[in-house]
Amino acid sequence: MKRFAQLVPAVLLITSLGLEARSKHAWRHDSRGVLLAIARAPTSAREKQNPFRGDGKAILAGEKLYSEHCAECHGDDARGGAHAADLCAPDVQKATSGELEWLLRNGNLAHGMPSWSGLPEQRLWQIVAYVKTLH
Amino acid sequence: MLRVLRARLPRPSLSELALTILFALLGAPVVAVRAGAQEPPYFVTYSHHLEEPGNLEIEFNPVFGTQRGGNDYIAGSAELEYGVKAWWTSEFYLDGQSTFGDSAIFTGFRWENRFRPLMREHWINPLLYFEYENISEADKSMIEVVGSDSEPDYAVLNSVLRQGIQHELEGKLILSSDFQGWNVSENFIAERNLGHDPYEFGYAAGASRPLALAASSHWCNFCAENFFVGAEFYGGLGTTWDLTTSGTSHYGAAILGWQLPNGASFHISPGFGLNGNSHRFILRWGITYEIPNAGARLQRLFR
Repeated sequence: MKRFAQLVPAVLLITSLGLEARSKHAWRHDSRGVLLAIARAPTSAREKQNPFRGDGKAILAGEKLYSEHCAECHGDDARGGAHAADLCAPDVQKATSGELEWLLRNGNLAHGMPSWSGLPEQRLWQIVAYVKTLH
Repeated sequence: MLRVLRARLPRPSLSELALTILFALLGAPVVAVRAGAQEPPYFVTYSHHLEEPGNLEIEFNPVFGTQRGGNDYIAGSAELEYGVKAWWTSEFYLDGQSTFGDSAIFTGFRWENRFRPLMREHWINPLLYFEYENISEADKSMIEVVGSDSEPDYAVLNSVLRQGIQHELEGKLILSSDFQGWNVSENFIAERNLGHDPYEFGYAAGASRPLALAASSHWCNFCAENFFVGAEFYGGLGTTWDLTTSGTSHYGAAILGWQLPNGASFHISPGFGLNGNSHRFILRWGITYEIPNAGARLQRLFR
């Protein structure tokens, strides 16, 4: 009985992993989801300018950071997939740099996109500089 | 310091040696997958940064502790951390310890869950933490310090300590902020043995920062951007019967972290007891390896 009680948490953990893996719809995150998330950005965030705009080295750094943190979900070509939005979509590209930085910092937690606030602000802007080069 | 360590190390038995080597060398797997975590390199303190959804992080965090009135030890925990949702991380621990001149034993398991109640970033970001522990009193991993935890508790023989099994629930309020590259986190801990005893309280606080805030334009392992420095402080705060900072132990520790672009990270933390109830010196080190989208890989198995 004691051993059974000890096994309960492990069984619950494995079950939660399995259920999570099956719930693929929870991952769906199309460009409409990005737009809805961006719509919540405050005006002050929308109007922020990217300090690295047009900086070639920053764009290369952004590409590296994208590959490190974003490509697994959004794809190497940023075209998205079942789990994440197409970042080349016109809707996403129309967003201001400030909106994209705000989205990176806050994430869209309810729809599966994590917050990247653990990265310094400079790196978020570098990622935005790279994403803005995608068409 | 090395001289002190050598003088304190008696001849280990075969089982001690095996566990010690396991603890020390599990830090080797480095596989070429590009993935980057963003968690600060704390050992005890939690920040509000959760595991990315679907990612599985495998951690191994040994700790060496000096012991007055007993034998020094190496304890450690193997940890599996999984991002269930962007706002929910679940983590499972297996703990063990090897006391020099005594024995090497498995000391139990823990299961914790961390939840982000607020869906956006704020100046101070709260996180709720719940943990179930099933560990013996011989556990020396010191993942947290609560109540009146003190150095003499660790001096008892393993054969005696392992008789006591604790079923405990633990809750933490985690407050965490990011500002200009710094992460500053404070944890307030409440723990209760399910069978008896009052609530025990503790705290942990940490600050850390990467050495460089902007990333360089090329892939590199030794760039400043991959290194983190920081410090953390933690200790007990007594019980509901006696809420106090005396009669318990307190520690301060420096932290150095090194995060590789392939998903592996290493960190080390020399810590020092801040009062007479604390171990004089503890050394923590750890390796973390993150498997991106482990959830999706598991999903394929269910198809």
